[in-house]
Amino acid sequence: MALIAGIDIGNATTEVALAELSAGATPALAAGAAAAHNSGGAPAHNSGGAPVFIASSIVPTTGIKGTSQNTQGVFQALTEALDAAGRSLADLDLIRINEAAPVIGDVAMETISETIITESTMIGHNPTTPGGLGIGVGSTIRIADLERAVPGTPYIVVADHEYTFEDVAARINAVEGRLHVTGAILQRDDGVLVHNRLRRKIPIVDEVSLIEKVPIGMLAAIEVAEVGRIIETLANPYGIATLFGLTPDETASVVPMARSLVGNRSAVVIKTPKGDVTERRIPAGQLQFIGDRTTDVDVDRGAEEIMRAAATVGPLRNVRGEPGTNVGGMMEKVRVVMGQLTDRDPAGIEITDLLAVDTQVPQKVTGGLAGEFSLEAAVGIAVMVKADRLQMQRIAHDMTAQFGIPVEVGGVEADMAVRGALTTPGSSVPVAILDIGAGSTDACVLRADGVPRSIHLAGAGNMVTLLIQSELGLESQEDAENVKRYPLARVETLFNIRHEDGTVQFFDDPLPPQVFARTVVLHPEGMIPLPLRQPLEVIRQVRIRAKERVFVTNALRALSRVSPTSNVRDIAHVVLVGGSALDFEIPQLVTKALGEYRVVAGRANVRGTEGPRNAVATGLVLAWEAQR
Amino acid sequence: MVMTMDEKTLKSIIEEVMKEMALVGAGAPTGKPAGRSAGGTTSLVISESGPAERGTNPREVVIGLAAAFGGRQTQTIIGLPHDQVIREICAGIEEEGLSYRFIRSFRTADVGFIAHEAAKLSGSGIGIGIQSRGTTVIHQKDLAPLSNLELFSQSPLIDLETFRAIGKNAAKYAKGESPSPVPVRNDQMARPKYQAIAALLHIKETQLLDPNKKTQALRVEYR
Repeated sequence: MALIAGIDIGNATTEVALAELSAGATPALAAGAAAAHNSGGAPAHNSGGAPVFIASSIVPTTGIKGTSQNTQGVFQALTEALDAAGRSLADLDLIRINEAAPVIGDVAMETISETIITESTMIGHNPTTPGGLGIGVGSTIRIADLERAVPGTPYIVVADHEYTFEDVAARINAVEGRLHVTGAILQRDDGVLVHNRLRRKIPIVDEVSLIEKVPIGMLAAIEVAEVGRIIETLANPYGIATLFGLTPDETASVVPMARSLVGNRSAVVIKTPKGDVTERRIPAGQLQFIGDRTTDVDVDRGAEEIMRAAATVGPLRNVRGEPGTNVGGMMEKVRVVMGQLTDRDPAGIEITDLLAVDTQVPQKVTGGLAGEFSLEAAVGIAVMVKADRLQMQRIAHDMTAQFGIPVEVGGVEADMAVRGALTTPGSSVPVAILDIGAGSTDACVLRADGVPRSIHLAGAGNMVTLLIQSELGLESQEDAENVKRYPLARVETLFNIRHEDGTVQFFDDPLPPQVFARTVVLHPEGMIPLPLRQPLEVIRQVRIRAKERVFVTNALRALSRVSPTSNVRDIAHVVLVGGSALDFEIPQLVTKALGEYRVVAGRANVRGTEGPRNAVATGLVLAWEAQR
Repeated sequence: MVMTMDEKTLKSIIEEVMKEMALVGAGAPTGKPAGRSAGGTTSLVISESGPAERGTNPREVVIGLAAAFGGRQTQTIIGLPHDQVIREICAGIEEEGLSYRFIRSFRTADVGFIAHEAAKLSGSGIGIGIQSRGTTVIHQKDLAPLSNLELFSQSPLIDLETFRAIGKNAAKYAKGESPSPVPVRNDQMARPKYQAIAALLHIKETQLLDPNKKTQALRVEYR
């Protein structure tokens, strides 16, 4: 009897599968079949020499995957498994570790559009409490000059923070009858207060922080919509044209302005001779894809164009960024980090995959008067670098010396995972596995002839976190990580919450005050309030869309690359393994997307007991068995 | 330079406060018109209008005043006139489209309990408690009295802008929105610098307590 341990060193966890093999027997079965027949490690097959799994364990990985710091975690995991089986380290005949090529993924965000307001032509921010209702058109006037103003033309009053709400209301009320005041722009947050004190009601936009920049004596229009509504006239180019009497040419020039006001509850548009709102594309640099052919693409063309360009070069060998640009800097950073980890010259490290995703990032508007934000186009980019095998041989060597037990490096990680995944009850060859981690998405197909084919792709959990963080404008990465991992709920009272699916849950004891009236993530250790103003449904949509754009896109991309016909349809079964398969919605999203291709996809249940965990460790043992 | 509080300064502060206390005179009934506020041209007139009742209006925030607020004491620890404090809190609530109501608590001078009492009487379940020296709490009826939604414990650091923001946030809680907590400044020196005077102001407040008197509804006017 031989006792062998398969050890999978992952980015996050180190897993062990401990198995006993009857030494003399040589099974005649092919690798895949052997694995399939052995689901659950049933002792009935023991006589045939199939391994009997006696214990497994899981501990957090120590250090960066694929470096000598991993030894500590390996020892701990091994001890746990051996203890559970009632064995000691000395009983062990062989340790097999995975290849654990450090796959380094890096993600970055490039904003590629910006909105610029010149000559303060527009105030498009969304104060939570504007005053009044409707539309007012008039020429702008400082409140101090109101007394001396000439009757005849309509006015829009501009008041800075020197004037209290009582003062503003009193001054406007004082000229009632003599002057026609049609609206007000305030610096303080006093819109409702002033409105409540006016005898003649007018629309009021407040919280305009840079009010001193509002041009005076210019024709302006104010619009405030009802609560829960959005403005209709100023967000419509023809609406602006009607109010200001614009020519067709001028109307064409207000289109960017109208567009940037869409979705606001209140807005001010001021007609100045040269004022304009423009949307500019920011040059973000060029990417060069090197494969059988070479092609260049501008990052500001967007994700779709980048991915299309990447697909035209054939098998990707390297990606270069234009030196001196942001994207060039990002590529350089990945090379340097990888170079340090593997003791190699950064220049020789090649980027083997790149995933670009279109996203929108809230950015402060240049030239805005009230700290306006506008959703700008951005491209999220994930890249990946693969390391060599030599590194792992060295670690195996170190471990052999330390433990006094032979340690060998098993095959490619994805190949091992597929063998482990095949122990899932109900699975059979040909099968594909999808291992979605933090830095990379790996896929492997095992065909009936037992030849595995695998691929590593850039873009996984970290990319989703980045998308969530930038789209929601979250300051901390931890919050974004929590949004990604756990479902949301709204705390309605201190005794009940409403889950994101609409169901209500009651509590006997009051919830902690810091979660009161907030949107929270349901972390297993308690609710965590989010510093966000967006409604729960918006946050949920951002989360789901981020996962779809990365996980579903990559699942399809990976499967089509490993499919014998380059078509996802020709893979019958897809089994999800790895930590991300434990996510509360990723398996459903992937299952749903693959269902459209008539592919059976689901979460693995390794050996019928381990769930999506332990696939690689199990595979390492089974592969050795098959090798003999 | 490190600020120190020597015996002399302490003595002078105590003397000052004692003088002030003598001026106001002990035993003056609350609810009588307060004196003119320091800076403003309006004066705050607070009168009692019978025992406070539980409100049913979900659009209201109840403001609970400590025994001496706007009566025996007319300004906070840093000299903000009480009428302006109330004006800012009310403006904050009004800007959010809600209404407010005042009560005064005589059984306790603890701002947490005052705020909790206000919250329990509030139709929205949200109350604000404020002590004469300026310490303020935003409370919710279902919380334990010593818990809170937001606490502004360092009275010397609360300015009028903060009071406005406190009113605004209380109103937002009442609407079921999730406001970002009002930024609270922190000053290590505030405690040693103001501790003695804060204690004295608190004593002044507790002198007006009456354990048998029910919480009163208030009428607040500016004249």
